[in-house]
Amino acid sequence: MTSDARALADNPFFVLGVAADASRIEIERAAQTLLGMLELEFADVKSYATPVGPQPRTAESVRAAVAALRDPYRRLVAEAWARHAPTVASTAPPGVAPPAGVPGLRRRLGWEP
Amino acid sequence: MYTLPYLILARLHRAALDARRGDRTWRFVGYSVLAGVTAGLAITIGLAFAWELLLLRLWPLAIVFGIVAVTPPVATVVLRQVAVPSGRVKLAFVLARVSRPGPDPEAFALCAAAWAYARRPSAAGETWLLARRDARDPLGDAEVVMTAFLALGHGNHDTARTLLGSVAMLVEEHPAVRELAGEWLAIDAAERGEWAAVHEAGSAVRYPASPLTLLLEGIAARFANADAAPSDLELLARWLVAPHRRATWPLLRLRPPVASGSQRATPPTATDAAATTGTDATDSTDPTDPTDDPDAVGPTGTDGAAGAALARAITEHLALVATAGSPTAAALATTVRAWDLALADGDVFAWLFERAVYLDAPPGAVDRALREVATSVADELARTADAARLGTPAGATGAVGSGLSRRLRHGRLDALEAGFTRWKERAELHKRAGMSAPHRHGIDEWREFVALETAYRDACTAGGLDLRRLAFPRAFEAGNAVAVWLWNTLKQYAISHAISRWLLREALVVGDAQAIDLGYTNCALKVHTRTGVVVDVPVR
Repeated sequence: MTSDARALADNPFFVLGVAADASRIEIERAAQTLLGMLELEFADVKSYATPVGPQPRTAESVRAAVAALRDPYRRLVAEAWARHAPTVASTAPPGVAPPAGVPGLRRRLGWEP
Repeated sequence: MYTLPYLILARLHRAALDARRGDRTWRFVGYSVLAGVTAGLAITIGLAFAWELLLLRLWPLAIVFGIVAVTPPVATVVLRQVAVPSGRVKLAFVLARVSRPGPDPEAFALCAAAWAYARRPSAAGETWLLARRDARDPLGDAEVVMTAFLALGHGNHDTARTLLGSVAMLVEEHPAVRELAGEWLAIDAAERGEWAAVHEAGSAVRYPASPLTLLLEGIAARFANADAAPSDLELLARWLVAPHRRATWPLLRLRPPVASGSQRATPPTATDAAATTGTDATDSTDPTDPTDDPDAVGPTGTDGAAGAALARAITEHLALVATAGSPTAAALATTVRAWDLALADGDVFAWLFERAVYLDAPPGAVDRALREVATSVADELARTADAARLGTPAGATGAVGSGLSRRLRHGRLDALEAGFTRWKERAELHKRAGMSAPHRHGIDEWREFVALETAYRDACTAGGLDLRRLAFPRAFEAGNAVAVWLWNTLKQYAISHAISRWLLREALVVGDAQAIDLGYTNCALKVHTRTGVVVDVPVR
């Protein structure tokens, strides 16, 4: 995945790892938990799953996500994306099969060192 | 006794090679076999004659005649198997020259030498090649091809690909040179998995086929399920007459990739999310105790049709951007349509409105949110379309479709106009400064033209006839000025003619009467090339 689909990669719900219908208390609680774990450098929380693949999580991104979800308008936009996104992917994003390329063909057929 | 049969066989060998260049059917294999048999017989006769001279104790003559008789038929084999892999630039040049590649043998020799350089680049080899190229004036297809091979030696595949692709625009034609260009393009496309491009180039007979090219085209035709795809037996025959059989054997078993099924879209649930953070999903969303969280989310409910429309749009969007560099026009059209439908959907609006009320969002939040989503989606799709050189899907008039169309049209038109203006200004600068090295200006201008022509073609594919009409006047102004300078001052007839020919074709498409008249006049001029005078006047 490239830097595309930022609306999903940076979505506050995915950053905090909470559902799109999470209450404000849940959001604050999740943020506090994450900030504590990041402070203690827990490896498990240093990345979060999104439909476009895992993304790095920092204390800054957690604080920004909480701030975004406190704003009703920004939460509305974030919800529109998060509620309807495909299942989060912890590994590679879904995609089409790679084309049947033949790596190294130029070299094998005498056209490259 | 020996001379006449030898000459007849040598002529037959050449005729078979020439004939197969114009054929891409079973006959190609037949001509290849005939060329092999005649070469073998010619070598046998040559060696027999040399043996007789040896028996007469005329051994110096025997050596000379042996070499003279054997070298031409085996030169291309030694070139491909020895000189090129070892990077022997000068040996490759000599072997290619004596292989009787047709008129202007130095053209093919230079390209073969540059091919050897590309295998093992060296400063001495490059200097020697550049000196040879610069001594040849005016430029033609061979000089463009060898410049492409020099770029290969620098590891610059994009430049090589563009230059080799541009050779088809030049009227000067060295069949052996074009065979090499076509072979590299086919191998390069196959390596990158662009079998459709291999098939398309073969169907359009853009270049004469080498045995290796014909084999790759056969495989590509199978990928495309083309009617003219070769049978197993024919493909095997093509493989047999092609070089590098050990390397190409696995290609015979290649099959088109099967698309993997896309992941089912399911909204994230509280349980999924809680599992991520390690919290208990039920501890604060208990519907029986709403007072626990008075400002909670309200009835998120099932968003039914709204959910389906948005989920589909997001899933299509993700599938498109996940194809990283190879999205298709159809996939882009499907994504744009899905977004336009979703963002205009009454159910989506109602769902957003309901959520806005519960979240206590400010007035107008729903419209603003829809606009924001449309803008960010259009921006992202425009980047994807630009990278993949795709155009706006036809009939895309919704919030995302019209935004995408606007971004693509404006960005591409601005870039084109700036590019053509720079080209013209640079040429005028050279014109005022006087010319010291016309051959270098020639190849530089050709590279610039090819880059601009590619950008123009991409932009027009994306923006349609409207954008073409807007872009053409600037392209004509710059292209015509450069073409006149190349013809009158630098005497670079072939590349000047190619530019004029392209301008005329575009003028005919956009219906520019003045440019059409001028184009016919310019294209009617006789083009002096190394292979003869070419008259390439398009039919009115």
